[in-house]
Amino acid sequence: MSKNSVFAALLLGSVFAAGGAMAADPEVYKIGGIFAMTGASPHYGKVMSGGAQLAVDEINAKGGIDGTKLQLVVEDHKSGSAQAAVAGMNRLIDVEGVKAVLPSFSTVTLATMPIGDQKKILMLNGGGVSAQTVGTSPYMFNIRSMASDLAGGIAHRAADQGAKKLAQIAIKSEFGDATIAATTKAWEGMGLKMVAAEQFQADAANIDTQVAKLRASQPDAIANWPTTPQAGLAVKRLRELGMKQPVYCMEWTAEDSKVAGKHAEGVEVVTDYFAATDENPWSKRFAEAYKAKFGDMPDFYAANYYEGVYVIAELIRRSKAKGGDYYTGERLVQALWENPTFDSVYGKTLTFRKNGVAQKPVAVFRLENGEPKFVKFTSAE
Amino acid sequence: MDLLIQLTLNGLFNGAHFALLAMGFALIFGTTGVVHFAYGPVYAVGAYIVWALVALAGLPFWAAVILGVAATAAFGVASYLFIYRPFEIGGSPPFVVLVASLGLFIVLKNLIGIVFGTDVKTVDSVAYDVHFVGDAFFTTVQVGQVLAALLVGCGIALFLRASRYGKAIRAMADNREMATVIGIDTKRLSILVFALGSAVSAVAGSLVLLRDGLNPNMGFGAVFVAFVAVIVGGVGSLRGAVIAGFLLAFVQSLGMWQIPTEWQNTIVFVVLFGFLLARPSGIVRRA
Repeated sequence: MSKNSVFAALLLGSVFAAGGAMAADPEVYKIGGIFAMTGASPHYGKVMSGGAQLAVDEINAKGGIDGTKLQLVVEDHKSGSAQAAVAGMNRLIDVEGVKAVLPSFSTVTLATMPIGDQKKILMLNGGGVSAQTVGTSPYMFNIRSMASDLAGGIAHRAADQGAKKLAQIAIKSEFGDATIAATTKAWEGMGLKMVAAEQFQADAANIDTQVAKLRASQPDAIANWPTTPQAGLAVKRLRELGMKQPVYCMEWTAEDSKVAGKHAEGVEVVTDYFAATDENPWSKRFAEAYKAKFGDMPDFYAANYYEGVYVIAELIRRSKAKGGDYYTGERLVQALWENPTFDSVYGKTLTFRKNGVAQKPVAVFRLENGEPKFVKFTSAE
Repeated sequence: MDLLIQLTLNGLFNGAHFALLAMGFALIFGTTGVVHFAYGPVYAVGAYIVWALVALAGLPFWAAVILGVAATAAFGVASYLFIYRPFEIGGSPPFVVLVASLGLFIVLKNLIGIVFGTDVKTVDSVAYDVHFVGDAFFTTVQVGQVLAALLVGCGIALFLRASRYGKAIRAMADNREMATVIGIDTKRLSILVFALGSAVSAVAGSLVLLRDGLNPNMGFGAVFVAFVAVIVGGVGSLRGAVIAGFLLAFVQSLGMWQIPTEWQNTIVFVVLFGFLLARPSGIVRRA
């Protein structure tokens, strides 16, 4: 046998070993979740982990993936601590051995993304909206509309309603900065005037100064970018000051309705659209199961992370069907691009675009008696 | 001009809140020397108790405040007797007590989340009005904050100047060793100032419940402001703490007139650094 023949035989053997033979299944498929379980905004952690856990329970009740169960391992980023998020991400990968992680919050996703990229871990964000998470890592995917998309949608909505001068208020964070920049670009791109952009620290309870400056700028409409619960607090303050201008948000939860109280009436929210409907039986099953388990109706964050677990489970299934060492981040990403379309709890399917962002329905809601009422779908790009 | 008037009013109202917080912290820190960082979550506990009494027990707000203030005073005393006092008896150095206070801070903050939940607590049953003077506005709650600061401040000042215990507290704040030598019961006075300081924080917390609502993390900002006010005002001086509380609020508010509001918290540190450099003993120098 010539040297070349030996080399060819070895190469062929290694190819079979790597790709042809079926690797052993793990005892359990662990999926990491990095959520805001404590800190200033634990509401998000509650609904996101709740949605993800419900999906895990449902999949396991049906036998898991070919008999192997899923397990959700949650790490707490304390409502946006990059340090806690990085520690959690490392623990998930190095100690728990996860191959897929569900991060949340823009700051957290940005802080953990380089680790996922370096260690080749699939990351599926359903909460953060920073455009900086797009196109920077082949392992990073988003099942949440980005701030830049939503800001465009809100700018169009405000302009449609006759606003010429817009004022913004946001938390001083990567999310706040990115959203202000995206909105300013969209608004001024339409030839309209941005009259104020005020920001405050994430833990601030008192935003009287910011609101006073917004009022002094005499806007036609206000873009309210804080997250829960400051979104509700800002609306409460704006209305207490007698500001009757339309207020638009891209984040609004039941917690915000509670904080804003009667002042929430009429506020409009442009965001990912989730509603349980008769036309979409999966959405109804999910909403009923979520309510039965947690006592509240699910919001789109719960839906995103619920859906995220189903996407990851489907990727594991598809990768396993191809054989070989199927349970790696690389193989999961490969499986995603082989067919970027998945069943969606939002209705029909979701498809990941080339930039890794799944296109989702975006809608305008108006708050009536503290509850978001669907108004219309809108352009989010 | 309208904005300047509004920012001045905001400074006044926030200053009243800061002054209340600073008074409570100054009483404890200035008298006992304990850097009571757990003052923040104790303040939060007081506000949560008031919330529970109004929202769950259905008590009128004023009755809930009275009970809440009393319960917070007891809570403050318990924190002294069970956490700090053993270290005092053992002669532990101040940094050990400081670490204990940070530990207590974390324990209490997490306990609030466990007991009351991590969601925001608000009270819907207490309505308040918004008043306009020209184009500037203020709410009844904000007026309440100013009145509370005024009443509590005058009350404490009178107590410290006119009562036997008040004079003893001042003596202890001046020189603890000397106070002990002349027979002042420093343990009893420590209990008293922890009760008073905690009670004052509960007054501030009750009004914040109406204004902003509560969350388990609210204590950090409170103790931070109180601590800075006490340092800037001059450790041991109640008057200095009150002045510094108002100063910080006016700087935070008026300073944003021409500066982007994102600098609001940073400016507090700038004031702190400035004072530490220019006037290390604070606004009110003590002999």
